[in-house]
Amino acid sequence: MTAGDRPAAEEPRLALRRRSASAWSRRGFLTVFLPALALVLIGATALGTSGNALLPFERVITLEGKMASKRDFFEDEKVRRILLKHHIRIHITSVGSREVAIRDLDDYDFVFPSGQPAGDLITRERAEKNEFTKIYRPFVSPIVLASYREYAEVLAKEGIAEPQPASGKGEPLYYTLDMDAFLELIEKKRQWDEIGIEDFGITNTNRILAQTPDVCTANSASTYLALVAFTRRGEGSEVPETSHEAEERAHRIKPLMEQGLPHADVFRTYVSPEGKGVAPVVVAYEHQYLTYQAHYLARSKKLDLERVLLYPKSQFVTQPQFIALNKDGDRLGQLITQDPELRRRAMELGFRILDPTGEVAGDQLTEFLRETGIPVPSVDDDTRTAMPRLRLLERMISIIGDCSGEESG
Amino acid sequence: MTPRRPAPRRPVLRRLTALLLALLLPAAACTADGPDDRVTLRLLASPELADLRPLLDELREETGIAVETDFRGTADTDRELTRRNSRYHLAWLASDRSFRLRLRAAGHRAEPPLATAITRSPVVVGMRPATAARLRANSPDQQISWADLADASAAGTLAFAMADPRQTTSGLAALVGVATAAAGTGGVLRPDDVSCDRLRGFFSGHTLTEESPARLAARFTERQNTLDALITHESELLALNATGKLRTPLEIVYPKDGMMLSDHPLLLLDPAQRAAYDRVVEWLKSEPVQRRIMERTMRRPIDPALERIPSLRRSIGNALYFPDRRQVIDRLLADYGDPRRPRPAQVLFLLDFSGSMRGERAAQVRAAFKGLSGADDSRSGRFLRFHRGETVTVLRFGGKVLDERTVTYRDDRDPARLRALVVSEDFDGRTAIWSGLDHAYRTAARILRDHPERRLSIVLMTDGRNNAGIGLDTFLDRHRDLPLRARAVRTHTVRYGEADAGELARVARATGGRLADAAGRPVLAAFKEIRGCVH
Repeated sequence: MTAGDRPAAEEPRLALRRRSASAWSRRGFLTVFLPALALVLIGATALGTSGNALLPFERVITLEGKMASKRDFFEDEKVRRILLKHHIRIHITSVGSREVAIRDLDDYDFVFPSGQPAGDLITRERAEKNEFTKIYRPFVSPIVLASYREYAEVLAKEGIAEPQPASGKGEPLYYTLDMDAFLELIEKKRQWDEIGIEDFGITNTNRILAQTPDVCTANSASTYLALVAFTRRGEGSEVPETSHEAEERAHRIKPLMEQGLPHADVFRTYVSPEGKGVAPVVVAYEHQYLTYQAHYLARSKKLDLERVLLYPKSQFVTQPQFIALNKDGDRLGQLITQDPELRRRAMELGFRILDPTGEVAGDQLTEFLRETGIPVPSVDDDTRTAMPRLRLLERMISIIGDCSGEESG
Repeated sequence: MTPRRPAPRRPVLRRLTALLLALLLPAAACTADGPDDRVTLRLLASPELADLRPLLDELREETGIAVETDFRGTADTDRELTRRNSRYHLAWLASDRSFRLRLRAAGHRAEPPLATAITRSPVVVGMRPATAARLRANSPDQQISWADLADASAAGTLAFAMADPRQTTSGLAALVGVATAAAGTGGVLRPDDVSCDRLRGFFSGHTLTEESPARLAARFTERQNTLDALITHESELLALNATGKLRTPLEIVYPKDGMMLSDHPLLLLDPAQRAAYDRVVEWLKSEPVQRRIMERTMRRPIDPALERIPSLRRSIGNALYFPDRRQVIDRLLADYGDPRRPRPAQVLFLLDFSGSMRGERAAQVRAAFKGLSGADDSRSGRFLRFHRGETVTVLRFGGKVLDERTVTYRDDRDPARLRALVVSEDFDGRTAIWSGLDHAYRTAARILRDHPERRLSIVLMTDGRNNAGIGLDTFLDRHRDLPLRARAVRTHTVRYGEADAGELARVARATGGRLADAAGRPVLAAFKEIRGCVH
């Protein structure tokens, strides 16, 4: 049995650096993703030829998978068709990524948490029990704030958001968000009407905030938590280094994430016709928005100019972890990192795919978006952003989400 | 949710196909449908979803899954869902917020059941067009808010119907919505926001209640001549309008300060029925079924891409944040009480009319009563004003209680009579605060003996120090000997002028009341702080 490709004792951090417009810092990526690539290359020889048509009498296996927003990939019709050519059907149980990690996995062939922290929870636990575990990291996607034109414009008027120049004439799809200034509005408990949302034709007396799914269960929410903790580090270190620091910072940023009972699926609410009233600013993955625009474009032959993205100046990139729990799951893991059709499709769904040849495939997404007619988001900030160590992140999640119940305060 | 099998349309063809597959592909049989698909599931459902009953018959025809349904209110469903071995396989709720709060309070220890939102509907206000026009004309920006509803209710010009918040999602959503608007922070309700009851005025207009939305709509139809508004799901309002039984269809008002949304989740209670659950969810979320639900029941599809019918294209306004703490909801429900047994409120104002109050200070008190009688246009003023059914007693005191007069707010002439309670120019030379309060408690004991259901409180305002009658200690001794009910009455104190803050704080603390300061601000602000803890 193989344990994870990473020793369980290590508590890794995802530290990425981004530099020039739309290009990903290759050195930064290599240091982080080299272990993953090594695994992928080894896997390549074992895979052999594939992609042949389904033989009529060949057995199709149904794999049980548990995941959160990465179901967007496995629920895609094209992905399903490609997998069927490989005689695989996927049955998905959809829950938050951290929920994936903390529950029993006996009935599953693979899991696909949206980020490294939840993945690490799983590999650590399974390594202790010496259970089959193999990790594949096919792509990454940054954390963004998805919003509406009026909200982005009122933030721009306040000097907190700035349209990205090349993202659409007159009606930019992308804005760069001064996260610190945005959090200051939240901290001061300002309401949307107090900063003049009425001037943009909207009445909203709600307090300004970015809605997330439940931080106790969702990776996007805990990544946002890390982003808030990083932005609000003050004089402290970039990430909390001790339990004391983690607790202190969690208590300090808790009011910034106060949103009441969270909605289960904030992104789907956001893209619904009722989204502007129910979820005007939500934490999401870039790929969710790009997929949405691609579908919208295909359906109505134009872009949805009402919905826009706010890119925090400090980028937090999430790295979904495909974890095979047995041999069948392993075969699927090899496919999604190796099969050219599946990789191409992942890119079309807005993921920034990692290239098995060692090249970062960010430029491929740029090219694809250009071909499709979707403006290319540019990120020209080189701020370093880092996740706290797993144990400390878990502590912060628990404090901010009250995950262990009211009696603990 | 992912389909494990394609949704079959024609059972006969499906079974034939399955048979052929079973013959040809023994190994693949596990992924194909077989005749054993016919299952019967026990479903626990919110009464709000009773109009979906015909859909469940179609579910059986189209998927072979039969459903036996029990409709039960929120309190019952919450209890059933938290049981270890529920007798139900599935639950379909108007909202699972109440249940999720229970799970949170228990600390996420158990794995929560799978839940999938099926449709949405906001809880909003259906109004007679004339009522809506009147409220709109009175509002500064021609947009109706919950504060406007509270104001009209308190003034007795709005009688509305709303389902019981203890038993229905729509009632609870409305209660939380109006409480959030009353708190006015724009944020999620915290325990501090609900430590004072600001909704008395609003609920004085609550004229009709029922434990199920269907009965509520039926009773509303019967009493449409005397009722002005119905607070419930948008879907119910549109459906009611479509019945043609209303003389004038209701205008749907989306309050400008926001609303709560229900999302009708289907929950899997018995994990052994996962396959059937997936098929039910897949069927319910399929385009034709989402469209059917939308067209027949006016719920908004969960499918973002499905185009809404014209009546569902209006903007619903902003969703308010729902509290994530059980104690906030519990407190709101406790204050709300039993809608069938309303408890009228009565306030005893014990007001200092010693000489030092003459002039500007007395004018402040008159301005405060004018504001509370409906002249204060601010949002807090609209929630906190005197309301229909409320009784106000004014005890003016100097060296002794000068007079005691009572007005119950019943009709349009009463605001003038309430204001007249404090117009007297008769001032006394001395200040007997504690004798006055002792008198007030004896009045309170008498009132409660005759009307034990009253919500009674005392507001004591003074601008000076006690220089006649008994002292504070003597008062507190006598207070301890009062009958239990009278002793429970709180005294809130308002410090004005040269009053002794220490003594006023002490008596407030001893009776469970609070101290408000009228120094450097209008007396009205201090009275409002006491009525609704508005700072």
